[in-house]
Amino acid sequence: MVKITFRVWILIIALILALLMIYPRFQEGVAIKSVDKDYKAFEIGLRPGMKILEINSIKIDSLDKYFEVTSSLLKDDSEKRISVVTKEDSFIFLDSNLSAITVSEIPNSNIKTGLDLSGGVRALIKPVNGSLTDLEMSDLIDITNQRLNVFGLTDLTVRSAKDLEGNNFLLIEVAGAAPDDLESLIAKQGNFEARIGNTTAFVGGDKDITYVFRDATQSTIYPAEPLGDGSYSSRFSFTITLSPEAAQRHADITNRIPIDPNSGGQYLLENLTLFLDGELVDELRISNGLKGQVASQISIQGSGVGTTPDAALSEARAQMHKLQTLLLTGSIPYQLEIIKLDIISPSLGETFTKSMIYLAFVVFIIVSTIIFVRYRKIKITSAVILTMFSEMFITLGIAALLRWNLDIAGIAGIIAGIGTGVNDQIVIIDESESKDNFSMKEKIKRALFVVFGAFFTIIAAMLPLFWAGAGLLRGFAFTTIIGVTVGVLITRPAFADIIKQMGER
Amino acid sequence: MEQNNQEQHQHHQTLTVASREDKKHWYDKWYKKMLLPPVILLIICLIYLFSFYSNNGDIIYKDSSLSGGTTITLKAELDVEALESYLKENIENVNIRKIADISTGKQIAILIDSSAEPSVLKPLVENFIGYNLTNENSSVEFSGSSLGRNFYKQLITAVIISFILMSLVIFALFRTFIPCIAVIFAAFADIVMTLAMVNILGIRLSVAGIAAFLMLIGYSVDTDILLTSAVLKKRGDTVNKRIHRAFKTGIFMTLTGLVAVIPAFLIVTGLPDSFRQIFLILGGGLSADIINTWLTNASIIKWYSDYKKIN
Repeated sequence: MVKITFRVWILIIALILALLMIYPRFQEGVAIKSVDKDYKAFEIGLRPGMKILEINSIKIDSLDKYFEVTSSLLKDDSEKRISVVTKEDSFIFLDSNLSAITVSEIPNSNIKTGLDLSGGVRALIKPVNGSLTDLEMSDLIDITNQRLNVFGLTDLTVRSAKDLEGNNFLLIEVAGAAPDDLESLIAKQGNFEARIGNTTAFVGGDKDITYVFRDATQSTIYPAEPLGDGSYSSRFSFTITLSPEAAQRHADITNRIPIDPNSGGQYLLENLTLFLDGELVDELRISNGLKGQVASQISIQGSGVGTTPDAALSEARAQMHKLQTLLLTGSIPYQLEIIKLDIISPSLGETFTKSMIYLAFVVFIIVSTIIFVRYRKIKITSAVILTMFSEMFITLGIAALLRWNLDIAGIAGIIAGIGTGVNDQIVIIDESESKDNFSMKEKIKRALFVVFGAFFTIIAAMLPLFWAGAGLLRGFAFTTIIGVTVGVLITRPAFADIIKQMGER
Repeated sequence: MEQNNQEQHQHHQTLTVASREDKKHWYDKWYKKMLLPPVILLIICLIYLFSFYSNNGDIIYKDSSLSGGTTITLKAELDVEALESYLKENIENVNIRKIADISTGKQIAILIDSSAEPSVLKPLVENFIGYNLTNENSSVEFSGSSLGRNFYKQLITAVIISFILMSLVIFALFRTFIPCIAVIFAAFADIVMTLAMVNILGIRLSVAGIAAFLMLIGYSVDTDILLTSAVLKKRGDTVNKRIHRAFKTGIFMTLTGLVAVIPAFLIVTGLPDSFRQIFLILGGGLSADIINTWLTNASIIKWYSDYKKIN
């Protein structure tokens, strides 16, 4: 039996702590990440955080299964009975599909995976001209956070990122499946303006607009109508409340506008035009009755066009949702551009994750086998296997503790880190088995010189990645450095002790 | 009888000693000449890279994450050649690769890489496959061209800084000029040879691929450290024996690394492209490292120890 020395104790304690950090568990179903408030699914009571176990009596045991079932619902546009069984409750309602819901895998452990594995959206945004000051950046972060929250997204990161040249970017990451029209929200200036003639009546944001109605009573989508050219159009309208000053301004302007004689006295001569970022959203006639009136509630209208009635309806719904969000959160005082936008499919990520776990396993077996073929000693081989396993496990534990998102490059880093670990162990074994006349202590000391030398070169080589490329490769650098550090501080000393004891006997 | 036996024994011993001396002799005679092949190979690689640069305006082929453009990863089985020719009719710069199951050949995913923006590329792909690209069946990654250029420039800077930091660590470890330069030279040759290999294979490097070069810088010098410390720090054995022992350990380390890289190409399928690129570059670097550590670096340090009369 190997004597449990102080260093071996440290290894054992580190392993137990890592297990506690990772906290593996097994659960069924998929978790709801967001539910669009405009849909039946929300009305009936489905909420983020619930765990879906069954849809229409089909057991949902993976994301793939979920997408399989929901895409079969999409095959026809008719309303149908949908039953959803969650861990919390069961729901039955009529709708054409389940597109109001976004879902994610229920985590099996505290290890968080990065966007390229869990799926989601990552965007890097910068102003069109020049750079942002720290204050402007923090305003931008606030507005973006607000917009995405109003939109119904919760699991997101919005932060600034700097690169080696000192440029700053806004980095947005939304984990899991994200709605398709997200990109229209994040880099939009959201400059909403209502004009009458050439005069601005009111603008978006809480100074002029105190409330935006989003419930079904005061926000409506009308049935689609054919446009004549084969496409369809669907109108939407919702009510907003103006601040007293904005309402007064509106009244002053309308007061000055004469009645349009061609309309039979029904409307004013000028129209109310709505612009979003300089683009015309809609143009509305102002009825005679509103002339000079201080009206605090105003109806905002617009339309969506599509090739089918359903496409027109969903476009109208999306437009309304976007406009409501932008009106609520106000505008950003400079133009922005999306310079990087990655929309990653969760189901592809799942395939990748499985392959990488399988690869790690195969590599593990192969390396163990060749170690055994070379040294022909079960004890040494099992010590190497134990060390490889411990190193990976403790690295994952640290990643879980720091809530680090493990991405593809990060996993490559862990595997490479284990590679250096195996190399180091080969150095220790060969040195300890050498037949020269030095004491075992001296031999191990020499082996550790090589081990630490290699350790410091890896650290030195990976450091620049913390800053290059807006820190997007930080995961790779981080896991490699954690992996090799765990190696030299925890597992290598323990391994050296175990080998020393083997050699002394 | 007994005496005879003893004599035979003695004779046997002299023979072994003689053959060992022959072996020593062999390395002493050849080590300088062994420097030649790696140096010639390095020069060929440098000439190749130089001509590559004058033809392509850069030292690597870049994918859309570095040059700007869109990558669509589509989870589907379809006729890749037909898709490629369809896309090439409409846009100039398209590259298609497939990720397939090695044993069955079944397509797992298709990678479409183009300098076009998603708003151009997506409708074209949708047109061909006949359904919409959604979050469920595909991933779409877009990098603006200015960002790509910016990333590339920074990653190259990162590679240079990383190389300098690594060199500083080597100097801190050994504190003698020639041996340190030998290690750094070997690391440099590793990078140049791997870069040439990647270009010859026609691989379009991604952000992750360049990160792999940084890792290579850190990873490839461990055998050099092993060799250098064996020669400089150990006394009691001959230099040749110490080199030989370091070689036995080091070559096993490198081969273990290479064997660990292979399954990513021959056994396990469905790996993300960036991941395989990292592994390919590490594999190429490790192979180059065998030459550069055990021919280049070993010969230089042997030469140095002869000159300095280190025993």
